[in-house]
Amino acid sequence: MKSMLEFRNISKYFPGVVALDNISFQASGGEVLALLGENGAGKSTLLKILNGDYQPDRGQYLLNGIEKHFRTPHEAIEDGVSVIYQERQILMELSVAENIYLGRMPCSKMGIINTRLANKMAQKIISDFGLPISPQTKVKDLSIAYQQMVEIMKAYSRENLKVICFDEPTASLSDSEIQSLFGVIRKLKREGKIIIYVSHRMEELKEIADKTTVLKDGRYVATVTKGEVSEKELIKMMVGRDLGNVYKDLDRNKSIGDVLLEVKNVSSNYVKENSFHLRRGEILGFSGLVGAGRTELMRAIIGADHMRTGEVFLEGKKIVNKSPKDAMDNGIVMVPEDRKTQGILSNLSVKGNINISLLDKNSNKIGIMNPEKEKKSAADGIHEFHIKTPSPDKNALELSGGNQQKCIVARWIATHPKVLILDEPTKGIDVGAKSEFYQMICGFAKKGLGVILISSELPEVIGLSDRIIIMKSLKIVGEVSHEEATEDRILSMSMIGGNNVHE
Amino acid sequence: MNEPAKEGSYSNRMVHTIHSEKLVLLVAIIIVFILFSSINKNFFTITNIINILVAASLVGLVAIGHTYLIIAAQNDLSPGSLAAFSGTLCALLVSLEIPFFPSILITLIAAAGVGLFNAWMVNKIRLDPFIATLVTQAIFRGFAYIICDGKPVAISDPSFLYLGKARFLQIPVSVWIMIIAIVVFGFILAKTKFGRSIYAIGGNKTAARLAGLNPQRIIVICFVMMGLLCGIGGIVFAARMNSGQPAANINLEFDSITAVILGGVSFTGGVGTMGGTVLGIILIQAFNTGLIMVNVPSFWQYVARGALLLFALTTDYLRKEKRKKNLLAASMRNA
Repeated sequence: MKSMLEFRNISKYFPGVVALDNISFQASGGEVLALLGENGAGKSTLLKILNGDYQPDRGQYLLNGIEKHFRTPHEAIEDGVSVIYQERQILMELSVAENIYLGRMPCSKMGIINTRLANKMAQKIISDFGLPISPQTKVKDLSIAYQQMVEIMKAYSRENLKVICFDEPTASLSDSEIQSLFGVIRKLKREGKIIIYVSHRMEELKEIADKTTVLKDGRYVATVTKGEVSEKELIKMMVGRDLGNVYKDLDRNKSIGDVLLEVKNVSSNYVKENSFHLRRGEILGFSGLVGAGRTELMRAIIGADHMRTGEVFLEGKKIVNKSPKDAMDNGIVMVPEDRKTQGILSNLSVKGNINISLLDKNSNKIGIMNPEKEKKSAADGIHEFHIKTPSPDKNALELSGGNQQKCIVARWIATHPKVLILDEPTKGIDVGAKSEFYQMICGFAKKGLGVILISSELPEVIGLSDRIIIMKSLKIVGEVSHEEATEDRILSMSMIGGNNVHE
Repeated sequence: MNEPAKEGSYSNRMVHTIHSEKLVLLVAIIIVFILFSSINKNFFTITNIINILVAASLVGLVAIGHTYLIIAAQNDLSPGSLAAFSGTLCALLVSLEIPFFPSILITLIAAAGVGLFNAWMVNKIRLDPFIATLVTQAIFRGFAYIICDGKPVAISDPSFLYLGKARFLQIPVSVWIMIIAIVVFGFILAKTKFGRSIYAIGGNKTAARLAGLNPQRIIVICFVMMGLLCGIGGIVFAARMNSGQPAANINLEFDSITAVILGGVSFTGGVGTMGGTVLGIILIQAFNTGLIMVNVPSFWQYVARGALLLFALTTDYLRKEKRKKNLLAASMRNA
């Protein structure tokens, strides 16, 4: 009988996020099913459900027609479902054979391990796979490609292996290594295993996948068989729509004013000395690779980290921010990058989250809160930013990611800042909410705020910013205007540095 | 279209949940009273209830401090030592012919100083509050013995003794002090800027700081407040005992933390009310007094107290799981 794997209407929720929404698909033995989707499309959540790391909140998971409720990855493996992850899950100090038979080494009745037998059994599998390695070799002495093979052999060594999943298996492999991996996958295929293959490399899918299931924002889009549609069409399915228009349609601020914020030689323990300026009504993008020091520079400016050197001038006057509170009082506020750990107060309601920076405003001289004022400022924020919440008293974590982010923006805008710093404001937010955010950001600039936008999404930073500053290795290395900005140019500046580009 | 109605019922359910938590406590208190009074007829009498309240007065003051600290995601293990130290110190100062009020003042300054030191360890050497206050627990138990050379200090000052005996409307002063403190600090927690800040830093200290609050200052105020409450409690306790006793109040923090967690303050911070703490105080004191009155051997009383703390922590865990589940259900609905 051919093995059969089926997901029926599987959904998975996390607070504020729909990770998987009603996903259904089928895979049968002797077939390679590819899962395709952008980052955040739900591929890894799906794999985690497959191997029992997560449990679906709705829907059925059927293996050979029997509904499965794996509580742990161990149960899934026992039932013949194995996932080969990007991060190697093997023990470096042990031998190849010991890794393959980890936890079930052959042993005598007394419990003494029979290493010789294990090596013999392992050697048989290694020969089956046609690999030039010895079962006694320590795994740490193998190349990454062979380490991965050890993982596959470990899964293969179980008699009842039915489903084997590969999570971006080629990420760190060379071309010839990829070919030998594909050789192994074809062997598994011939033996009737179900193979799930997650990747976003189109050329690989063309070669190895029999069917491709496309996911987008946690939803199922379509399943196509090999050669049915072109690469371009697949990409379109994945992205869903052309984001180019989103930026073109934006109502950008055209009247940029005088210099609002001047930053001179600011440094901290986490970032080198940097200088830049920001004009009234301007959106200033900060681009760079992760770890380039963009967040750290802003944290020094608002006093979240100790400012070691430098000066900050706002409207020509020198200001000193010893804490984020000082910065807020001076009119500089920052929406932090990580909403969960730095933005949302998870124990408070939507109202409490919006009002937390308005404690002074909403209380009288001796510090007693005015409930009417609190109610009103929360209602204003919810109204102004179209925060979708059943009630202001709902816990903020119940809202979607985008609406949580709006609560934090509302919190800051209510303090009437002059400079608004947004650190990756659209991270983890779905596409529809993103364009709403873009409109909002342009609206702030129109009102005369200076906006600093840190973003790792190049189209976003190019599409929104009037000027873009590029940072590399904790230093500002260059600047481009909206007109001259291209993805290539910014990327090469972030990776190589400014000078090369000017030549 | 029927959205509002649905949401209405949902908020009702939330209100219901909150009430039901308090209700469980009330039922528990009633069960404790029925149980103990069925064994010992003297349990449910006015005299005994006042006795319970008097006995609760010290743990009550400390529980107020713990309510603030634990909501702010802090904790304090030093109150027992600090109360004993304060009572002994005040009795000692009075016995050295220093007038009663200046003695109180000096004692309270010292107690506040201990709170400040606790906050300093937490803020500046980044110690976990549990460990930091374990340090002061040991040190000030030691100092309590050192200053009096290990012997209780008898009190002969009439105004000091009067503090332990005086009654207003039949109710002893120590109980009045607790009631006033609960009302004042309950109001501050629920209605003021400072109260809001405590919940915020208990929920997420990093986010609260980035939102313009000053967590370190809030932590200092909470610890100093706890120091003062222990100081006041210790002095009143000494007055009731007619002597400053360096060995007194062992396990005070244990009872107080149990009461606060029973009352619905989450051990991980950010959640809780003063009303809940009041119920928790009543429950634990009725429980402790009852154990004595029905002649449970004292060694077994320790076991019973431990069991009660385990019960409190388990309900805290279940409440958290329930909140998590509600949250998940809500995001499923909003999705």
